[in-house]
Amino acid sequence: MPMSIFSLQRVTRRYGSAEALDAVDLEIDQGRTTALIGPSGAGKSSVLRMLIGLEWPDAGEVRFDGQPLERDTLLAQRRRIGYVIQEGGLFPHLSVRDNAALLARTLGWSKDRIAQRLEELAALCQLPPDLLARFPAELSGGQRQRVGLVRALMLDPPVLLLDEPLGALDPIVRHELQTQMRTLFAQLGKTVVLVTHDVAEAAYLADTLVLMRDGRVLQQGTARDLVDTPVDEFVTAFMTAQRTLEDAA
Amino acid sequence: MRRVLWGWVLLLTALVGPARAAEQATVGSKNFTEAVILGEIAVAQGRKAGVEVTHKRQLGGTRILWRALEEGDIDAYAEYTGTLKQELLQQPDASDAQVAAALARRGLGITRSLGFQNTYAFGMRQTRAQALGIRTLSDLTAHPSLKLGLSNEFLQRADGWPGVRKAYGLPQQANGLDHDLAYRALQSGAIDVTDLYSTDAEIPYYHLVVLDDDRHFFPDYQAVFLYRLDLAQRAPEFLQVLKKLQGRIDADTMRHLNAQVKLEHHGEAQVAAQFVGVTAPQGSGRAARILRRTGEHLALVGISLGCALLVALPLGVFAARRPRLGQIVLSLTGVLQTLPSLAVFVFMIPLFGIGARPAIAALFLYSLLPIVRNTHAGLTGIPRDLRETAAALGLPPRTRLWRVELPLALRTLLAGVKTAAVINVGTATLGALIGAGGYGQPILTGIRLDNLGMILEGAVPAAVLALVVQGGFEVFERVMTPRGLRLAARA
Repeated sequence: MPMSIFSLQRVTRRYGSAEALDAVDLEIDQGRTTALIGPSGAGKSSVLRMLIGLEWPDAGEVRFDGQPLERDTLLAQRRRIGYVIQEGGLFPHLSVRDNAALLARTLGWSKDRIAQRLEELAALCQLPPDLLARFPAELSGGQRQRVGLVRALMLDPPVLLLDEPLGALDPIVRHELQTQMRTLFAQLGKTVVLVTHDVAEAAYLADTLVLMRDGRVLQQGTARDLVDTPVDEFVTAFMTAQRTLEDAA
Repeated sequence: MRRVLWGWVLLLTALVGPARAAEQATVGSKNFTEAVILGEIAVAQGRKAGVEVTHKRQLGGTRILWRALEEGDIDAYAEYTGTLKQELLQQPDASDAQVAAALARRGLGITRSLGFQNTYAFGMRQTRAQALGIRTLSDLTAHPSLKLGLSNEFLQRADGWPGVRKAYGLPQQANGLDHDLAYRALQSGAIDVTDLYSTDAEIPYYHLVVLDDDRHFFPDYQAVFLYRLDLAQRAPEFLQVLKKLQGRIDADTMRHLNAQVKLEHHGEAQVAAQFVGVTAPQGSGRAARILRRTGEHLALVGISLGCALLVALPLGVFAARRPRLGQIVLSLTGVLQTLPSLAVFVFMIPLFGIGARPAIAALFLYSLLPIVRNTHAGLTGIPRDLRETAAALGLPPRTRLWRVELPLALRTLLAGVKTAAVINVGTATLGALIGAGGYGQPILTGIRLDNLGMILEGAVPAAVLALVVQGGFEVFERVMTPRGLRLAARA
């Protein structure tokens, strides 16, 4: 039984009168990849954002590595978590190198140490080293995503959070990055939590799927579990709502 | 970013730093020619006696001079007894002793009359008056057909035409006309008599005589110097200088001095020096004058803008961080902006005296809004996902502010500073009204002397400076905008 690294207990979050999250209980396994899936507005992004303190529950508690997530200790906790959003969330005024090195510099890393780590990560994320001097505006969508990953991995955090990381990419690049990410996650052995609306991508990248609807967790398990033993018809409908080329024939 | 800020601080200390040289005495003057001449006479007389006197020229109206004297910003200025009694002490019937006592309570003293008074009077062409044998106001009663053209204000005031008419039983009807036109009307014979001030420069110029107020209808407006009593200890020589001027200037002399400045376009300092009998100080050339005023103007703008930056930047950051309190900050700085600038300049006098300091304070207040508002707008305009990513990375708040948020807000922020700077360059010309110098000085003098060339000597450099500042900021903005942002803007 793997240890859980994130634990949500009775987490409720309201936007005005609407409930975004309704008493969510959730355990996320350490060292594995978990995908939060579900229709729009299900609350999957809210859950992810709560894991890193960008949103706070109105009731209930979020625990990270046994400690409640609190504003006082947030800075240290965030440094143990890498965070990547769609398009990478790069700072447009900083070069690729400066984007990636910003936090390390703040923490007083030496130039050599930063350069060495960047070289390692560029190789790991298959980012051509000559792109390090460029600015985000000079990169393609896929390259930006890789830089986002490099930046998130800079301090070698045990956890990686990805919010729709491949959402804005064209199919070929997306396919290529999916393959590389899967390899990367297996290689790194980190805890990865990602949000996606694409079931196939989730099934391909993640060990565990968490299917959410209307601010609740409907079912948690492997892709196979969700297909073979769905808790209700919606799970089946969601898992099978995919077109294949055969459909077109 | 931080380097830029330190640059400002250094610049400010450099500008404020130099200590003022020790001066022996300071004389002020109101914003009209006669007052400025009297100030210059005090300076010239002082130089003759070996006292170094600084002249703060054309500081403004009566109230400003009075307050400056009370506050010790100046040591003396020329005043008229009528104004002193009615406006300043509000004891119109006070005796000389009572006036002296009232002044002494405020730590002030008064000289005896300088030898002339400047009051309302009636004037006629010399030849016409002689022909008719008119020397006094009473003489007018014998000539009911004379045409009187009076300035509109004088025509209305109770202590003007209605009063004179009643006191002397004058039979004539009077028509209203513009004061400046009156002299030409006299010349052409369209009117025979007009009202004037008894030391007007035009009196000798147009060969007019002032009719004697033989029934003493008009109040006494003897010219005197008011001074601070502590001069007796601090600069006794200067007090002697002022007293030496008692009874020295008669009305005719004053008229000629006024005419030399106003009609013959000599400088006040030259005219005063000639009167006192000393050599006039070498007047600086136009280029040197403009250069000096540019320095003064830049100091006003630079210091006020620098201080505003130091205050408005944190305020803008605060307003962006705390939206609710931020609204209050924005509203308050907005209210400051709606105050009429002239009023703000004058409000600063009780707090900062006269000179550059109150002007800098007023300009400082005016600079706040554009900088606060644009800092706030720049910071809140940063896309939410970038702000969140910076936080989620675990960057400390300071790093987030300095390395991410301020650079991203820099363009908007600099646009605010530019607006403040350009507005400041224009508004700073008002500083001359309270003795701050700068480009406003020649504008003010030019208006007083009706000298277009002099007005342009201030207005043109001010306009040029505004353009230079505008252009400079645009270049600065381009240089300061990170390359990544320029690329992003093009993409």
